[in-house]
Amino acid sequence: MADHRSIKKALVVASFLLPSFVGFFVFVLLPVVSTIGLSFTNYSGGRTFRLIGIANYLSAFRSTAFLSSLWITARFVVFSVFFQLALAFVFAIMLNGKVLARTFFRGLYFLPSILSSIAIGLAFALVLNPGEGPVNMLLKSLGMAGQPWLTSTKTALGTIIFVSVWQSFGYYMVLFLAGLQSINPSLYESADLDGAGLFRKLLSITIPMLTPTTFFCVTTAVIKGFQVFDLVYIMTGGQQGGGPDGSTTVLVFDIYRNAFMSFRMGYASAEATVLLLLLLVVTTIQYRSQRGWVSYDAA
Amino acid sequence: MYVILLLAAVAVIGPLLVVASSSFKRQDEIFSYPMTIIPRIPVLSNFAQLSAHFPLYIWNSIKVTTSIVVLQFVTATTGAYAFSKLVWRFRDTLFILYIASIMVPIQSIIIPQFIIVRNLGLYNTHTAVVLVSAFTAFGVFLCRQYFLTIPDSLLEAARIDGASEYRIFSQIVLPLSIPVIVTVIIFSFRYFWNDFFTALIYLTSVSLKTLPLGMADFVSQYNIEYGPQMAAALISIIPVLIVFLVGQRYFVEGVVASGIKG
Repeated sequence: MADHRSIKKALVVASFLLPSFVGFFVFVLLPVVSTIGLSFTNYSGGRTFRLIGIANYLSAFRSTAFLSSLWITARFVVFSVFFQLALAFVFAIMLNGKVLARTFFRGLYFLPSILSSIAIGLAFALVLNPGEGPVNMLLKSLGMAGQPWLTSTKTALGTIIFVSVWQSFGYYMVLFLAGLQSINPSLYESADLDGAGLFRKLLSITIPMLTPTTFFCVTTAVIKGFQVFDLVYIMTGGQQGGGPDGSTTVLVFDIYRNAFMSFRMGYASAEATVLLLLLLVVTTIQYRSQRGWVSYDAA
Repeated sequence: MYVILLLAAVAVIGPLLVVASSSFKRQDEIFSYPMTIIPRIPVLSNFAQLSAHFPLYIWNSIKVTTSIVVLQFVTATTGAYAFSKLVWRFRDTLFILYIASIMVPIQSIIIPQFIIVRNLGLYNTHTAVVLVSAFTAFGVFLCRQYFLTIPDSLLEAARIDGASEYRIFSQIVLPLSIPVIVTVIIFSFRYFWNDFFTALIYLTSVSLKTLPLGMADFVSQYNIEYGPQMAAALISIIPVLIVFLVGQRYFVEGVVASGIKG
C-alpha cells in the first residue's frame, strides 16, 4: 500500500518534470559533456573519428587565428560591457528623479534591446555607409571627416562595439532603475540631515547600495559579450565575414566557421571548451569577488 | 540634463527612423542630403522587390515562434511546479543545474547538439529548431519564483478535497499565475522571433527559412539595394514593436525579475 502510493507520487513528479528535463538533458546537458569529449577527437562530421588527445588544444594555442579571436573577443567584451553599463548607470540616475516624460525616455532607450540584431545590423550598415551614409554626411556638414566604419581594420570592431552599446544600454538601464528603486529613501533623508551633497550621496549611498545590481549586470553583459555573433555576421559579410582582414572575427564566429564551414568539429569543440572554461572562470571570479565589493545589506 | 536626454533619444530613434523612411524611398533618395524623414516620392516598390520567398519566411517565422512559445509555456510551468510545489529527492541539486545552464552559451554546445539533431533525422526541419529551443531554464526559474508566492495551504486544502496534482496545477496555480505566464510568453516570443543562430545552423532549404535568416541573405548579394533591406527590417521589427507598445510592463517586469538577487 505504502509502496503503491510512493510509486504513484514518483510518477506524478516525473510527469511534471519530464517536459523540461528531456529538453535540458538531450539538448543542453548532453551537449555540454559531449563538447568536452569531442574536443579530444578529430571528428569532422563523418562516420569515423579517433581520439587524438590534446592535439586540438595544442594546435589551437599555436594558431594565430584562434589567438587573435581570443584577443578580439576580450577587447569586444571589455569595451562593450564598460560603455553599456556606464551609459546605463548615467541614464538610470537621470531618469530616476522627477523628469518630464520619464516613462517615454525609459521606454525609448529600452526599445532597441528587444529588436532583432539582424534588422539592426542592416540598419547600421546603411546609417554608417562609408560613402554617403547619413552619419558621415552629418559629420562632414559639421566640418569633420567621414569615417570608414566597417570597412577599415582600424574601426570595424569599434563600430560593432558601438552598435552593441546602442542596442543594449537601455536593457541594463532598466535593471539599474529597479535597483535604484529598491534603495530605502530614509538613507537619503538621514544623509540630508547630515548635510551631504548630491555627489556625496551618490558615492556613499547610491553606488554601494547598487552593487548587487551592478554585479548582476556585469555578469550578464560579460556572458552576452562573449556570445556576440549576429551583429558580426550581418555587418561584416555573412559566412565570409569577420573582417575586414579578420579584425572582427570573435571566438564564436571562429567556432562557427571551423565547425560548420570547414567541418573541423573536433577542433571547434576544443575552442568551444575554451569558451566554456573562460565563462566559468570569469563568473567564478566575479562571484568570489562580489563578497569583497557587493553589499547585500538590506536597506 | 534635458539636452542629454533628447540627444540620446535622437541617437536611439534616428536609425529606426532611417529604417522606416528608407523602406518607402527610392534608392537615389535614400542617400540624398539633407536627409528627408518623410519620403519626397513615397514608393511601395521596395516591398514588391523583396524576394518572392518573403511571405513564406514570415509564415515560417510565425509558425516556428508560435510552436516554441507554446512548448516553452508547457516546459516552464510544469517544471516550475515540480520545483516549487512537489517534494522529491535531488530537487534542489537539479534546480541548480538548470540555473547554471543559463550561463552556457548556445554556441559552445552547438556542435554536439547539431550531431544529436542530425542523428534524430531532424536536420533541416522546423522541428529541430523548435525542439532544441523548447527548454527554458529562465522560464522555469521565473515561474518557480512566482509559484513560491502562492501559499501551500491553498494547495493542501485542495489535496484534502481529493484534487489531483494535475487539477491543482491547471485550475489553481496556472490561473493565479497569469502575469508571470504573460511575461514568459512575451520574452520567448521576442527572443525566438529574432533568433538567428539556431535557424542558421539547422535550416538550409530556402522554403524553411525564417525571417532573420531570409534577411541575412542580403549580405551575400553583390548589388546592394538598401530599399528592400530596410523594408524587410521594418517588417521584422513591427510585430515586436506592437507587442512592446501593448505590453511594455511585462517586458520590464521580466528584465527586472531576472535580476533579483542574481
